[in-house]
Order: sequence, then C-alpha cells, then structure tokens
Amino acid sequence: MKNLLSIILLGFGFTVFGQDVEFKAANFKDDKDGFKTAKDAFDAGSEDWELGNEAVFQVQDPELYYWKALKNFEIAYKFNPNSAELNFKMGVCYAHSSYKQKSIAFFEKAHELNHDIHPFMDYYMGLAMQLSYKFDEALRYYQTFEAEYKKADRFGKFVKQRKLECTSGKKLHADPIRAWVDHVPELSTEYNDYAPTVTMDGEEMILTSDRPNEHTPDEVGRYDDDIYTSTMVDGKWQKAQPIKGRVNTEKDDISNNYSYNGTKMLMCKVNSAGNFDIYETFLKGDTWSEPIGFSRNINLKSNDIYASYNFNDKLIYYSKDKDGGQNGFDIMVSGVMNRKNREYGLPNREMSVSSNFNDGPVYLHPDGKTMYFASEGFNSMGGYDIYYAKKEKSGYWGKPVNMGYPINTPYDDFFFAATANGKYAYIASNREGGKGGYDIYKAIFWGPEKDPALATQDYLLASIAKPIQDPELAAEVKVTTSANLTVFKGKTLDALTKKAVEAVIEITDNKTGKVTEKFTTNSATGKFLISLPSGGNYGIAVKADGYLFHSENFDIPSGSAYNMVNKVIELKNIKIGSKIALRNIFFDTGKSALRPESNAELDRLVKLMKDVPSLKIELSGHTDNTGSAQGNVKLSQERAEAVVNYLVSKGINKSRMTAKGYGSDRPIASNDTSDGRQENRRTEFEITGN
Amino acid sequence: MKKLLLTLAISLTGIMSFAQPDDELTPEEKAYRDSIANLNETNAAIEKSQNAYNAGIELFKQEKYEGAINKFSESIAADPNFTPAYYNKAIAENKSEKYGQAIKTLDALIAKKPDYSKAYFQRGRAYQGKKDFLSAEKDYEKSVALDPKNPKAYYNFGTLQFLQKDYESAIIQFSKVIELDPNNAYAYNDRGSCYRMLEKYPQAVKDYEEAARKNANLAFVLNNIGTTKTKMKSYEDALKDFNRALSIDAKFYLAYNNRGVTEMKMDRYTDAIKDFTKCIEINANYAPAYSNRAGAYFKNGEYAKAKADADKAISLDKNFADAYVNRGMAKEMLRDLEGACEDWHKAKELGSELGKSYKASNCSN
Repeated sequence: MKNLLSIILLGFGFTVFGQDVEFKAANFKDDKDGFKTAKDAFDAGSEDWELGNEAVFQVQDPELYYWKALKNFEIAYKFNPNSAELNFKMGVCYAHSSYKQKSIAFFEKAHELNHDIHPFMDYYMGLAMQLSYKFDEALRYYQTFEAEYKKADRFGKFVKQRKLECTSGKKLHADPIRAWVDHVPELSTEYNDYAPTVTMDGEEMILTSDRPNEHTPDEVGRYDDDIYTSTMVDGKWQKAQPIKGRVNTEKDDISNNYSYNGTKMLMCKVNSAGNFDIYETFLKGDTWSEPIGFSRNINLKSNDIYASYNFNDKLIYYSKDKDGGQNGFDIMVSGVMNRKNREYGLPNREMSVSSNFNDGPVYLHPDGKTMYFASEGFNSMGGYDIYYAKKEKSGYWGKPVNMGYPINTPYDDFFFAATANGKYAYIASNREGGKGGYDIYKAIFWGPEKDPALATQDYLLASIAKPIQDPELAAEVKVTTSANLTVFKGKTLDALTKKAVEAVIEITDNKTGKVTEKFTTNSATGKFLISLPSGGNYGIAVKADGYLFHSENFDIPSGSAYNMVNKVIELKNIKIGSKIALRNIFFDTGKSALRPESNAELDRLVKLMKDVPSLKIELSGHTDNTGSAQGNVKLSQERAEAVVNYLVSKGINKSRMTAKGYGSDRPIASNDTSDGRQENRRTEFEITGN
Repeated sequence: MKKLLLTLAISLTGIMSFAQPDDELTPEEKAYRDSIANLNETNAAIEKSQNAYNAGIELFKQEKYEGAINKFSESIAADPNFTPAYYNKAIAENKSEKYGQAIKTLDALIAKKPDYSKAYFQRGRAYQGKKDFLSAEKDYEKSVALDPKNPKAYYNFGTLQFLQKDYESAIIQFSKVIELDPNNAYAYNDRGSCYRMLEKYPQAVKDYEEAARKNANLAFVLNNIGTTKTKMKSYEDALKDFNRALSIDAKFYLAYNNRGVTEMKMDRYTDAIKDFTKCIEINANYAPAYSNRAGAYFKNGEYAKAKADADKAISLDKNFADAYVNRGMAKEMLRDLEGACEDWHKAKELGSELGKSYKASNCSN
C-alpha cells in the first residue's frame, strides 16, 4: 500500500515537473516584479527570434538575431525554465548557431512540456534526433511535420532536404570511410575557430577565430573574427598568434586559402558598404601585407567569400550570394585577365557544385582535377558537409561526392585544408566533443586498404633441408591513385654566412624547356614551398642580387603518390674565384655538340654575362676518370669551347671568356661511384674578373 | 698379406728368441732386421688406419660427424695414402657444414687421385656451401666430364644454377638427371621449381605431379603444388594439395603456414588464423607464421593481437621485413603512426616493396 502511494506520488510529482509553465501573470502571482522583467525579456527576445526565422527562410545568416534573442531568453529562462515556448525558442536559436548541440536539450524539454507548443515542434524534434544520429526517429518527426504543415511557402524545401539528410545520414553513418577525425585542442577554443588553411608541407597553419581580442565586442558580446597563425613543432601545433602585418582589423577578417607555395593568401573581410569582399595578402618575411581587393567583377555588391586559388593561379573560385536570392551562396569562378591590374573576368556559376542551399567554402587541390567544397545541400548528413568533385574531360565538374562519416556529421563540417601527400586534412566542425562553437579537426586518411605482407616457404629444392624463401610471393603493392605530386621545399642561404637570402627561383621543365614556376623565396627565412608533378626532370635557376646565380638539375621520380624533396640552396657572392657548375648543360656521350635542352641554362648564362658586363669567366669542361686521360682532356676542351661559341653566338664578347678542358684532373667527387662520376662530369665556370 | 704377416711374425719370433747384441750382427743382418721392424710399423699403422676408418664410418652412420671426422683424420694420419679416408672425411665435413676443411681434405685427395670424379663432386658441394659458386660450377663440370653417367653431379649442378637464379640452365641439368635416372622424384620436383620461378606454372605443376607419382611420400612436393596453385589463383585446388601434404605428414608445419596464406587470399581470415596457430604449435620458433597471423589478425580488426604477433616474429628474426610491414600496419591502426613509419622504414631498408610503398604514402606530410 505504502509502495503504491509512493508510485502515485512520484507519478504526480512527475506530472507537476513536466507541466508547461507559460509566461502568464497568473502563474507568478508571488513575484510580479520578477515576472515583469522576465516577460519583457521574453517578448524582446521573441521579436529578434522572429527576425531570425525570417532570415532562415531567405537562406541568409540568422545568427545575430538569434544571439540577440538568446541574450534576452537567458534572462527569462533564469526566472522560468519550464516554459515550453521558451525552451522551444531557445532551441531554435542554438540550432541556427555554431553551438547546435545545445539545442537538443531545449527541444527535448519543450517537447516533453508541451509537444503542441509550436507548429514547428516536430520539425525541430526531427533536427534534435538528427543531431543525435537517430535518423529513423528524425525522419518520422519530419514526416509528421510535413503532413501537418499546410503553408504553401518555401519551407517545404527545407523539410525535403532534412528528410534526404536522414536517409543519407543513416547510410553514411553505417559505412564510415577509412579515416580518423581528431579534435585539435591546441588550435581550438570555446569560441569559433575555423577556416584553417595549411602550407603543403603541413607545417604552417592559418586560421580564423572570434576568440576575445583587443577589439570591442558587439552588442551580444561576440568579438570580431581575426586571423591567426600557428607552426607545427615536433608534431604539435603551437599556440595560435594573430598574424603579423596590417591584416586584422576591428571588423571580421577571415582567412580563406593559402597559395600552394604559402607566399600569398586569399581572405575575405567586410568592406565599407558592410558586405564581404575577397582580398589578397602577400607574405614578406614573416609579415603579411595590407590586403588588396579584387576588381569589381569579383567583388560585386553581394557578399563574396571563401576564395581559393586554382593549380596554375589563373582562376579564383569563391562563394557569392545573389542579392535578393533565396538559394544562399553559390560557387563561382573567375579567370585572371590582367594580373598587373588585378583584373578578373565576369564570374561564372559552377552549376554542378552549387545547390539550392549555401555552397562553399571551396578548396582547389593542386592536382588541378579535384575540388573540395562544403555545402548544406546535396546528400548532406545535416548542416554543412564536405564534398569533392572531379573535373571531367568535358571541363565541367562532376557530380559532388559526400566525403562520408566521420569527415561529415549531422553538424556543420566545412573547410578542407589538405597537406600534399593527401594523408592529412584540417577541417572545421561544431560536432559534439569539441571545446564549443567551431573547432579545428584533423582528418587522417588511412588510404586504400592495406594488405599485409604474407610469407610462404617451400622446399623448392628437394635436396636442401633449409627451406628457401620464395621471393615471388610478396603481396601486390597498392599505390595511392590520387595526384602524382612532389612537394619541393627548401631555402636559399648565403653559402658563407648561412643567412637567409631572398632569391628569385625559376623552375624549368627540361622536357618542354618551359619555365613552370617563378617565385621569390621568403626574405626572413629564405624558405620556399611549391609542388611539382612527379616523374620529370627539372632545372632550377636561383638568382639573388649580388650573388652568383645557382643552377641545378634534379629528377623527381614517379612511383609513390607524393614525395617531398627538400633542398638547401647556398648562393655565392659574385667575386673572383667563385666557381659554379652548370648542371643543365647536356652533351651526347663522347660528343661535344650541345643538346637543345641545354639552351635554357645557356641563355641564363648569357643573361648573367649581359647583366654583369664586367664579368670575365673561364669556362671549363670536366670528365670522370673513365676513358683515356688524353681523350678526356680533348673532349672536355671541345665541350668548353662549344659553350663559349654558343655565348659568342648570343653576342658575348669572346675576350671575356676562356675555354679550358681539364679532363678528369679536377674531380669534385669520388670516381668510385656512379653518383660521384656523374658529379664529376660537368661544365663549370669560374669568375676570373669582375 | 695374412701369410706374409705370419711368416714375418715367425721370423721375428726366431730373431727375438735368438737375439744377438747389435755388435754381434753383420751389417746385412742389421739391415734385414731394420727392414722387418719398419714393415711391422707400417703394417701396424695400416691396421690402425683401417680400424679408425671403420670406426669413423660407424660414427658417421650414427650421424656423429664430429667424431667421424676425428676418426677419419686418425686414419689419414696413420696411413696418408689411404684415399677412402680422405673422401669420407670430406663427406663428414660437408655434412657438418665445415666446408673450408672439406675443401682442404679434397684438395689433398685430388692431388693423390686427380681423376676421381666423386672427389670433384664433393668439393663442388663444399664450394657451394661456401657460396663460391664459380669454383663449385668448375668442380661439378669436372665431375660430370670424368663420370658422365653419374646423375648426382648433374643434380647438384642444377641446384647450384637454381640458387644462382639461372633457372633455364638448371632445367637442362635436371632434365639430364631425369634422363639418367627416370625415377628421380627430386629432379622432377626441382625442375618443377625452376618452371615455377620462371612463372611457367602449368609446367611446374606437371613436374611436381610427376615427382609425387614417383614418390608418393614426399609431403613437400604436394606443398609445392599447393603454393604454385595459389600463385595461379586456383585457391580451392591449392587447399586440396595442402590437405594431401598434411595427410602424409601431419607435422609438416610449412603446409599449415602456406594453407593459411591461401586462406588469407580467399578472405577466410579465421581459418587462416587457425592454420597459422597450428603451424606455431608444431614449430614455436617459426617467425613467418607469427608474421602471417599478425596479418590475419589485422584483417580481422584485432590490431593489438596483430602487433603482439608481429613483435614475436621480429624477436625471432630481427631482419624479417614482412613482420615489420605488418607491425607497422597494426601500429598505424593503434594510432602510433610514428612507430608505424619506423617499421615501414625498416622494412624498406630490408628490401620490402610493400614497406617502401606504405612509407611513401603515409609518412610525410
């Protein structure tokens, strides 16, 4: 009997606890003043809340309205946490912020208190379930909502999209891709930390954060977005620091994408008219230049955000919202028309990667064939998901492919900053488990499924007791099939002092003779970083004021998908006695006729001679020690003369040059190895007068 | 000989019985006496040599090669002209892998009997053991030239060429063995292995099958058929062959290991784990089975077990590239990418293409 009473009491108590306490004076007779303050806050919050809802319908950013509403709702909530309507409205505010996870508890409580509190209750319960990965339950709520929602407005498209998300979410969640996604606590705070972009070697990162700074927060206490930088030391990201230079302002400054060599960056910031425009900033030493905007074709009246360079730096992809449009941001592309004047052509909408919802940020992979972008549309699991699209033979982008769980979640997952080998990428997400708001996450891709190495042994020879390992049975090698690129990084230093030298580097593809890259190394560190297609032979020419130009020839082997070549280039001051080997001058074996692929190097030498008219040089030919000494001297003399003749034919006075064949008398490496012998076979010049 | 000894013994007894002081003997008598004494010494030495020789053979039969070598040495010391002792000593030295000693012994023998085909054959074996293939080849050629009907020299010549990866030449030698000795199952097996190395799998299987017909008790031949059929991707057939091998020799651990590998290729990881485990039960120090089981555990998603097995394989064989590859894979999934990269690097250094590939695609930024 006593137990029964307890049950009844408990049941009663639960009913009382679960009762909706509306914001009515009759419910708060004992605290009229407190009620008035709370009710005023509730009403004020509700006004902003309505404006937020309006923005949602227009696929515009509703966040500020909702934050304003929340500021008031928090006051009301302290007074009366058991209002179904207040819980519902607060849930809506959080659902449309970067703190989506907080919405779940509010929706569940609102639903428990009064599931008829708002015509959109079922819709948002669907969202709460979706965020909890309960896709079947979510779908049922959305279907109920759809059946009962009779208004013929544009909201139908959202419901349709949510239902699609539940279907795809269930499928993607059940079949995770081969990757880990780890939170990066060093780069994340309780505020929004997003828009990561990394150098291709994965050692420098730039990101955006609205963490507290020295500026004044807005009316709801939010700080403006500033751009920060961090360096990887011993596998750990260091504390992010505001980037050096006149980049960060009191308004929002948002990082977009690095150029592939890390020397410039696209960003977006608010212009004087209050819209976002795209800007570019350049790294000089360790300082970023004041951002420069683009021509009107890109920076129209609309909001233009989240831009990315393409592989050959001729196009800019970005997101743009159409004034008065209802489909949010779309992905656009614009081509350079006049680089000096920073003129770009009229942008085109990339149809296949633009949905009826917000699309972008976008990142173009340096392979020139792959676009990574985020979108709230397509087969998202919910919120923004990251997709990739491949360029088809027609030149159009193919159908977007969802990158799958756990890259994507029902929360917002966007930005995609990949390192060169395709093993790592950094994304931003407000998924569960972070510090709050958007946080930085690191995706680690496992690559194609790895096969173990299996060893079989047999008595292949009957007479030999010791089994012979069968060398043929090693498992097949799977090579990553993505782009075949090599990261080429390094630095230019003074050969004597080892101090950084700012130098201009030209990379020539020796097969085509064309200059494929031309860039300046960092003045503070001498560093440079580019990516080159693997499987080629390249010439590198390095020039710096007051230094002898440096020339080198190198192969980038094909084979593994991505490699890293690290080169330290030591530059010599131009002074008498300096010797330099010309590594990109080629002769047929045993002959002295110059091969055509030598021309690029020779022309650089011609230019040096013309640039420094006082320069006098001795051109010398050197061989390895194979063959007769006499023959080697003769051949090297003829080769040196061939170079001199070429220079003469290009207008260099013969009196400034002497040709000398040393044969194998002056080796610079051991003749005992093939590498050493190759080093020794060279054409060299020495400065004899200046 | 017996008669002579008896006569000498009688004469000696006579001399002893009527021994005269030296100065009482004539020079002729002294010379005679000394020659007899010398003969006696020689005969005693021969006897000693022969006894030692026979004792050596007895020890050899008991596989006590060290003792046999000592006895044959005693035999040679007692009678340096007793060539069979050299020959047997060399065989015992080859058996106990003392190839350098064997070569010296056979050098001495060949100096005494330059046309002795078997001596060249054995010295060829010794050179082969020392991996001096060029010298071995010369000796086998000499042996074959001196005794063209002896299949053994052709056979060893063939194995030598096989080890030097000259499979085409080895086929010629093994074919010659088969011609001289048509029931030689080993020659069929080894010729089959040559075809296999040349990736002529159907011919390899044909020869292996013939070897199995000539001698139905050779489990390793059936195992070879199994692994060759695995190469031909005839996995179901391969399993039958391994089963046949194991029905002949239930302790043939290699067949369990190899059957496990075939099951891996059929994605039957649990069966493979059972077979690798069985292999380990029979031979607890067999590193490949641990490494392979690591691969099977990896495929089953049991990464900690995979790592433990790869650890064990490496502890048994520090230069086992496959085990480093597999341990790297397990470490990666256990979130130790740095350790994984170290292992793949080690595997690469040890010549593993797979280690090279995994390192290249996973271990730089």
